[in-house]
Amino acid sequence: MIRPLIFTALATCATVALAESKLELEFPPPKVTSTPAPIKLSNLEAPNTPAPDIMVPNDVTNVAAGKTVTSSDPWPIIGELDMVTDGDKESEDGYYVELGEMQQWVQIDLESETEIFGIGLWHYHAQPRAYLDVIVQVSNDPEFASGVTTLFNNDNDNSSDMGRGEDPAYLEKNYGRLIPGKQAKARYVRLYSNGNTSDGLNHYIEVEVFGRPVE
Amino acid sequence: MTDSPSPQLNPTSWSRRGFLKTGLAAGGMVLAAPAVLRGQPSANAINIALVGVGSQGRVLLDSMLNIPELNFVAVCDIWELSQRYGVNRLKKAGFNPNGYTDIEDMLAKEQNLDAVIIATPDFWHAPHTNMCLKAGLHVYCEKMMAHTVESARSMVQTMRETGKLLQIGHQRRSNPRYLHALHNIIEKAKIPGRITNINGQWNRAVSEDLGWPKRYEIPADTLQRYGFKDMHQFRNWRWFKDLSGGPISDLGAHQIDIFNWFLGTGPKSVMASGGADYYDTHEWYDNVMAIFEYDTAQGPVRAFYQVLTTTSAGGGYFEQFMGDEGSVKISENPNLTKVYREDRAPDWEKWIELNYLRRSAGAPAPKEAATVDVRETAPLVAYDLPVVLDKPLHQPHLENFFAAVRGQAKLNCDAAHAFESEAAIFKVNPAVAARKALDFTPEDFKA
Repeated sequence: MIRPLIFTALATCATVALAESKLELEFPPPKVTSTPAPIKLSNLEAPNTPAPDIMVPNDVTNVAAGKTVTSSDPWPIIGELDMVTDGDKESEDGYYVELGEMQQWVQIDLESETEIFGIGLWHYHAQPRAYLDVIVQVSNDPEFASGVTTLFNNDNDNSSDMGRGEDPAYLEKNYGRLIPGKQAKARYVRLYSNGNTSDGLNHYIEVEVFGRPVE
Repeated sequence: MTDSPSPQLNPTSWSRRGFLKTGLAAGGMVLAAPAVLRGQPSANAINIALVGVGSQGRVLLDSMLNIPELNFVAVCDIWELSQRYGVNRLKKAGFNPNGYTDIEDMLAKEQNLDAVIIATPDFWHAPHTNMCLKAGLHVYCEKMMAHTVESARSMVQTMRETGKLLQIGHQRRSNPRYLHALHNIIEKAKIPGRITNINGQWNRAVSEDLGWPKRYEIPADTLQRYGFKDMHQFRNWRWFKDLSGGPISDLGAHQIDIFNWFLGTGPKSVMASGGADYYDTHEWYDNVMAIFEYDTAQGPVRAFYQVLTTTSAGGGYFEQFMGDEGSVKISENPNLTKVYREDRAPDWEKWIELNYLRRSAGAPAPKEAATVDVRETAPLVAYDLPVVLDKPLHQPHLENFFAAVRGQAKLNCDAAHAFESEAAIFKVNPAVAARKALDFTPEDFKA
């Protein structure tokens, strides 16, 4: 899926009518395997909380599709980093990349500065679980040493030492997670996690970045 | 693990985040210095191989990585993807295992093994287990023991012939909450009074068949060599009659085992209904409802069990032992574990003082019962069990196995005891097919 689904149209600004649509993710089919581990997190949001409403211009596309992915873990346990942007959102064996324990990240190079409206994120959804310390940042610096904008942070106790976040932890489902892009302008997107409530590892099935080139 | 555990008087609270921060704190640093931080296996380490690195094999692997003094020397799986997973996962944890496709090849080359963990599809359990036992190895084999009762019986016989240990993966038998419920709540305190009925269930929502990416497809000749018609059958073996016993065996085995274990006897009969009603691609019954009849020292007990794979309704997965003075509802999910008091029961305060029970925070005070709608049964006062499992669900059962390998414990579920219990499960599918009650004979439970 490249383009977001068109849901509604025509928002207006001061002088011109600009076609817009509601950004909605395309979901893979739900799958359930094995018995989930109990989850007890103080910042866990209620299951099935609606995704945020994000209106986007109609020239916005998934600019992450097929783009190069790098990672903090150069030797994934299984899978390839290109699975993160290959458009496949299945949760089964062979469709995800699994990184090691503790904090790990994947980074997508959008190849040019991009106005970002929303990010779709699927970690692993064949079992109800929550990933810990999910932090999503964007920057024009590939090292993320400067000009960093944080779009999502649910590290409520600052255990990843990147600052305390107010966003909720959430259960992984086939719906993924839609994160507002706040029209941030950046070339690189970096997504962190710090294990999960089932096995302490870090998985990425797919990341979609909905944006358009900065003119 | 002893047969008569004492109640835990200082329960700790479960915190997944706490577990991760403590239990896995060394894990990240392991990447840099695995041998130092995981602990270089000593000369006393148990050398083990993991055979079958699918979803269940990985659950066991994660638990075993928390157990000290294990040395992972080999993994075996016919799917290159899973085999690579096992090798890479263990390398990240500081081990250097060899990967194998064929178990016979592995046994021929790995001469220093002490024990094997088997998590292959059910129809391979007996051949793999018997092969490993005869090779002089101790075995932990996942449940269901086998896909046929004859194969399961052969595993017990091989265990006896070889004198090696064979633990079956009914992990609830090592769960401290289940041990407390049986030995303290039911046996010592006799809280339910006379148990007359049991209710158990495991319901799951509709789920599509498992798929696979083309780039990881197993060659057809390899699949056929290992008993699979094609890749779809390999990925969905639980639904095929030659390979598995279906949901009643896959999910029901855990819970019907609890019926038999807690009652201390097998049933005298079973009647059941089920059908392959919903899925076009499955051979086994997607929904089964079974009723077992028991004769116990206290009197007759009837036990209902349902496994549904077309709805997650019904309140999760649990086993509930219902007596004339109270009921014990237990589950691997601690939130579903409660003890309910009938009004006619004797005072339970002493059990609270002894920390056998804890009054549930959400339980209505007895006086509030007078305000309920009298057209309905008043809610029973609920209590909690003050025992918490602060480890992954399978870890205590694996710890018990490795302690037994070291001669420090007795197996909590050796193959002989597992067979006595699983004999009841093997008869459910035939009861569905026969559409009538089937009686058990003493020979059914003998291996």
